[in-house]
Amino acid sequence: MPLAMAAGRLTARSDADLIQASKRGDLSAFEEIYASHAGRMKSIAFHLLADRADAEDAVQEAFLKIYRAAGAIQFDSGLAPWIYRILLNCCYDTGRKRKRQAEAPLAAEPPAMPVNVPVQVAIRHALARIQPQYRMVFWLFEVEGFRHSEVAAILEIPEGTSKKWLFEAKRELKRLLTESRA
Amino acid sequence: MTFDCKDLERALAIPELLPDAREHAKVCDACRRELWLWSEMSAVAPGLREDWETPELWPKIRQTLAAQQKAAKPHGLGRRLGGRFDWRIMAGIAALLAIGFSIFLITYSRPAPAPAVAQDSDFLTDQTLKEVEKTEAAYRASIDKLTRLAEVKLSAAENPVAIAAREKLLMLDSEIANVRSTVSHNRFNAQLQADLADLYRDKQDTLKEILQRAE
Repeated sequence: MPLAMAAGRLTARSDADLIQASKRGDLSAFEEIYASHAGRMKSIAFHLLADRADAEDAVQEAFLKIYRAAGAIQFDSGLAPWIYRILLNCCYDTGRKRKRQAEAPLAAEPPAMPVNVPVQVAIRHALARIQPQYRMVFWLFEVEGFRHSEVAAILEIPEGTSKKWLFEAKRELKRLLTESRA
Repeated sequence: MTFDCKDLERALAIPELLPDAREHAKVCDACRRELWLWSEMSAVAPGLREDWETPELWPKIRQTLAAQQKAAKPHGLGRRLGGRFDWRIMAGIAALLAIGFSIFLITYSRPAPAPAVAQDSDFLTDQTLKEVEKTEAAYRASIDKLTRLAEVKLSAAENPVAIAAREKLLMLDSEIANVRSTVSHNRFNAQLQADLADLYRDKQDTLKEILQRAE
């Protein structure tokens, strides 16, 4: 843990301060950005890539890109959406690379819905069966706790679309869960 | 309002209708189960989050960044200026010096047309200047074509690489305009011509990279 964080200065430095300091080569400032976001980034990357090593690679690549592109950031929509947009691009790149390297295509069909399992397990299975854009919005909003405005900024969609896709995601999940429990 | 089972879907989409739905669910098992499931999804979702320790991840990132910083660290004049140049400017200057030096060597390794006449090696002859200006015009025209192609790809992209590329192109265009303006007052200066050629080369490489990435 960086000393700055241990001293409780994490909240004292805004995202803008941290990115400015990072641009000047201050790696401890960049470490604060890492400490604030890495956990959530790993979780999102794992959700997309289903492999911890790949998720870590994607997060590492994302932070290297974030550092290199720090000079180009525009704070209109805050630091977080920008960071997570870069992460999603890195995950898609990693996914594409993995597909190219795989001898056999990755499982195209999601596994069958299990019956009589806890709701959490059933949701995990059901998520694999819904449309990717609905799944992504559900994950960012319900699992990672982003607000609709942040989800919209990360996915570069209107806020209304984020709300609509979340509703569609939950409706699909409800249908699948109801069927599996019938 | 008389709430019916078929209204449940609409109530889930419109939060204002949820109190009516809950009232109805008191007497309807099916709707009660659906409402429970709807709220349960949100309740258990945070538990789906994947969390694991990666103590080696930040040291790896830090090490890579430190190595990059070291490689891009300003030397000499740059350090004396307080290291305020970023890596792109430093890389640009390094490329400029390398290519400029090559062009300089090529320019002065040509056989001299009139060996009997003493020349000041820092300046171009009329004949060489004409050649340089002709080449520059052709080079500029081909880069303009490349720019038009790359602009289509760049304007559509919003990723950090595209943003950085746009920034670099702006910087190069500004530098090219500066050097051209200086050259117009000092056309026979070989070093300025070499600097200009180098900037064009850098722009050409950047444009090529953008087009390659887009493919």
